[in-house]
Amino acid sequence: MLVSVLSLVGFFVALYLWAHNAGLTGPIVCGVGDCATVQSSVYAKIGPVPVSAIGVGGYVALFVLSLAGLQPRLRESRAISALLLGGSALGVAFSAYLTYLEAAVIEAWCQYCVASAIIITLIFFATLPEIGRLRARGT
Amino acid sequence: MSRSEERRQSREGGTDMKKLYIVLGVVAVIGIGAVGYSVGGGGGAVSAPVTVEGLDDVNRLVELAQGNTKGDENAPITVIEFGDFQCPGCQAFATQVKPQLELTYLESGNVKFVYYDWPIIEIHPHAFLAARASRCAADQGKYWEYHDLLFRNQARWATLPNAVGTFVEYSEELALDGGTFRSCLESDQHADVVTANMELGLQLGVRGTPTVLVEQGGAVRNMSNFDWPTLQQYLEEAIAPTPGA
Repeated sequence: MLVSVLSLVGFFVALYLWAHNAGLTGPIVCGVGDCATVQSSVYAKIGPVPVSAIGVGGYVALFVLSLAGLQPRLRESRAISALLLGGSALGVAFSAYLTYLEAAVIEAWCQYCVASAIIITLIFFATLPEIGRLRARGT
Repeated sequence: MSRSEERRQSREGGTDMKKLYIVLGVVAVIGIGAVGYSVGGGGGAVSAPVTVEGLDDVNRLVELAQGNTKGDENAPITVIEFGDFQCPGCQAFATQVKPQLELTYLESGNVKFVYYDWPIIEIHPHAFLAARASRCAADQGKYWEYHDLLFRNQARWATLPNAVGTFVEYSEELALDGGTFRSCLESDQHADVVTANMELGLQLGVRGTPTVLVEQGGAVRNMSNFDWPTLQQYLEEAIAPTPGA
């Protein structure tokens, strides 16, 4: 359940950045850090795809999977447990890379990126019990 | 597990799911509200001409309309452009002709360059805002840097639904005070001057952008062809001393 709530929060954080990247918002509201520098850097996109759009997609996937895993029919699904665990681990790795870029390459911080990194890390910890479930169902 | 236990667990599960849906609903409402509020932000930024009293009076019009000048104020020849930051032709002039003009004639003090805003808002929705943005940058002493940055990045901001955020980012790129710039942009500051410039252009016969005029000794010539070789040839002739003089 925690994964669903955190994924939804993460989705809105990423959506705000995506909307800004698409020029749908006014100036980015950045109380702490230097969001404008980060968002206008070359690292804000991978090819033509904004990093924030990848975040939106990732959080939507985790949200849908977490809700699906709560349905009585799918509670025992190994596939959902594996996808939740793998997806959140991938998200943490990607966030760690982006955080490294902010700290060492861009040398500026975006509070929304940091918030997203914290959220995906919490999601990862919240999905750790899936390891036990995977083992139990595997026997 | 007995049937009664199964029913109890099922009831508890249903209650937990209801609580979850309530929490998700609250998060969704807050998230939609926050993102929705930010979309369309910068709504206070005036992006179209305003009503300015007295523009039909020539003296008042000349007083209110203000170009931005680059080069020696006392230069004998003035190249005047009526331009639109969102117009591709103006971008070509700004990136291909103006640098050569600066290098060849502005630095020597023979010519000065004056840029007047003439945004065609019917086809360029961000042009008026861009003109105001350049003047907000001028307030902090970086008009020409901002002017050049806008033209260099025209392709990036011209297609945005909302350019306010990007214009503020450009101000920060030029190390301007972002807060001051933003306050200026999200207001009607300089809208009167840009409007006056548009009216001045109309009075002078401007019908499209870029319109390039060359003024010397009170005589004004409209350069219908303003590519660099043509403009250079004209300026060379204008600068050269009259034979026998």
